[in-house]
Amino acid sequence: MKPGDHREPPPLLGTWGRLYTAVVLYLIVIIAAMAVFTKAFNL
Amino acid sequence: MTPLDWVVLGSSVLFIVAYGMWKSRRNATMNEYLLAGQAIPWYAMALSIMATQASAITFISTTGQAYTDGMRFVQFYFGMPLAMILISMTAVPIFHRTKVYTAYEYLERRFDAKTRALVSTIFLIQRGLAVGVALYAPAIVLTVIFGWPDQWTTLIMGTVVVAYTTFGGIKAVTWTDFQQMIVMLIGLIAALIVAVGLLPAEVAFTDALRLAGAAGRFNAVVTSFDWNDRYNVWNGLLGGMFLALAYFGCDQSQVQRYLTGKSVTQSRLSLLFNAVAKIPMQFAILLVGAIVFVFYIFEKPPIVFQQQEMARIEQRAGFAPLAQRFDKAFEARRDGAREFLESGNPLPFQQAHGEMERVRKEAAAGVNDTNYIFLAFVTRYLPAGMVGLILAAIFAAAMSTISAEINSLATVSVVDIYRRFWNPGGIDSHMLAASRIATVFWGAYAVGTASFGRNLGSLIEAVNMLGSLFYGSLLGVFVLAFFFRRVGGNAAFSAVLAGQAVIFALFKFTGISFLWYNVIGSLVVVLVGLALSAAAPQRRAAQHSESA
Repeated sequence: MKPGDHREPPPLLGTWGRLYTAVVLYLIVIIAAMAVFTKAFNL
Repeated sequence: MTPLDWVVLGSSVLFIVAYGMWKSRRNATMNEYLLAGQAIPWYAMALSIMATQASAITFISTTGQAYTDGMRFVQFYFGMPLAMILISMTAVPIFHRTKVYTAYEYLERRFDAKTRALVSTIFLIQRGLAVGVALYAPAIVLTVIFGWPDQWTTLIMGTVVVAYTTFGGIKAVTWTDFQQMIVMLIGLIAALIVAVGLLPAEVAFTDALRLAGAAGRFNAVVTSFDWNDRYNVWNGLLGGMFLALAYFGCDQSQVQRYLTGKSVTQSRLSLLFNAVAKIPMQFAILLVGAIVFVFYIFEKPPIVFQQQEMARIEQRAGFAPLAQRFDKAFEARRDGAREFLESGNPLPFQQAHGEMERVRKEAAAGVNDTNYIFLAFVTRYLPAGMVGLILAAIFAAAMSTISAEINSLATVSVVDIYRRFWNPGGIDSHMLAASRIATVFWGAYAVGTASFGRNLGSLIEAVNMLGSLFYGSLLGVFVLAFFFRRVGGNAAFSAVLAGQAVIFALFKFTGISFLWYNVIGSLVVVLVGLALSAAAPQRRAAQHSESA
């Protein structure tokens, strides 16, 4: 595998698929956290 | 501005510009000038991407947006992580593999020269309009602080940015972006800490959040759906994703950032860093605006934050009774806030707040002072040194965006138009000189058009709306290019024109939120492209049988 090859694995989590999944999960968590804040403080 | 503020502001700007020029002192080829020899590390690309998107408008307009409309603007960024993943999976490996200078160069390889020319022209129009607005934002800063005419301030700022962008090309742009983003983050954290520190001693941070919430300013997630509502979670996820796909995937001012990476992995990491960091950063900027709002519950705000407008309003007949109503409502709101914090009853506070809003609307009909709120707060209440730091952050944000935009406009002008259609055999040194001349031209153009930003209201909305008028078509043609191999150049060209016509019609004749232009425009391009390419073989067959 050459450097720059799109199959080169990411430095985290081993595969790009796992890294993308982690980003999606992060998005879900961050929206949920903001929704909780909105519910808690917005009247 | 105290001498300390001047020292902080001046040394920050000088250091950043000098550092960028030093890092880019060797630019022997066009590839080095436009793509930095594809040797930029992922973290510099990541901060450059972030800095390019975070303009002065982000600081001065987003905070004002939170003050007047609450934090719901953060939902605009919810679709961005999804877009970054899709771009990492599709555009990044394709652009790297084809070794292009611009995204539009790829369109000729995939379709034909006329599609490349059309899309390049759309980019030049769209980004050319936006660069003036981006340059106007810091002019507001200097106008507020010193009362300088905005023509002078845009000229000074434009000259500085054009100087280092012309000298150093994308290396200077990237490395100054890197430093500028660090200054912005420091300024942001400092602004948040100081704003909280300026609240009355009896108002804790959680009390401030409760007060912002009671006034409808803590509406970070809105789940109700409305086509005409600009900011709710659905608009943000879908509309925001399409806008981010177009901006980061098809807009050369961003594509050029990650084309400087030495590998697909480096470019992907820079995009995914932004996917993770952007929403918290925008949330923090909006939170500053919400905290400023709470600060003004206890400290009387002006009816209008723009001083010249305020002076004009004060001269009007009937101003005195309005001012009295405003003063009374302010005192009632302040007392109501204390009562709310003690007893939990928000009604007196909310009623008085409603009255203040009504007076503000009556007194300032037709005036939009969103862009002046944060600056008025910074210059009046922040301690010596802090004003210089916040201004340095705002100027850093402005310079990073403008330099990247000018650099990308010059790149497309030279690579996609001049070299492709006028001088295909030009030698490298000639193209390097042409790139520098194009950079100066676009800088001058930005200075010349900056004053149009004066009447656009909230600049953060104006730039995003402006982008959305063109991004749907850009995104649509790249979707056709990446995913529909059977669609040819003629179909793609016509589809872009059709998509652009539909978006302009939506803008002119409907009240649909601008975020949906990106979704609808790109869908129109894809559907028209597919329909035309499906019809084309039949037409060819019919023509063939007629001639036979």
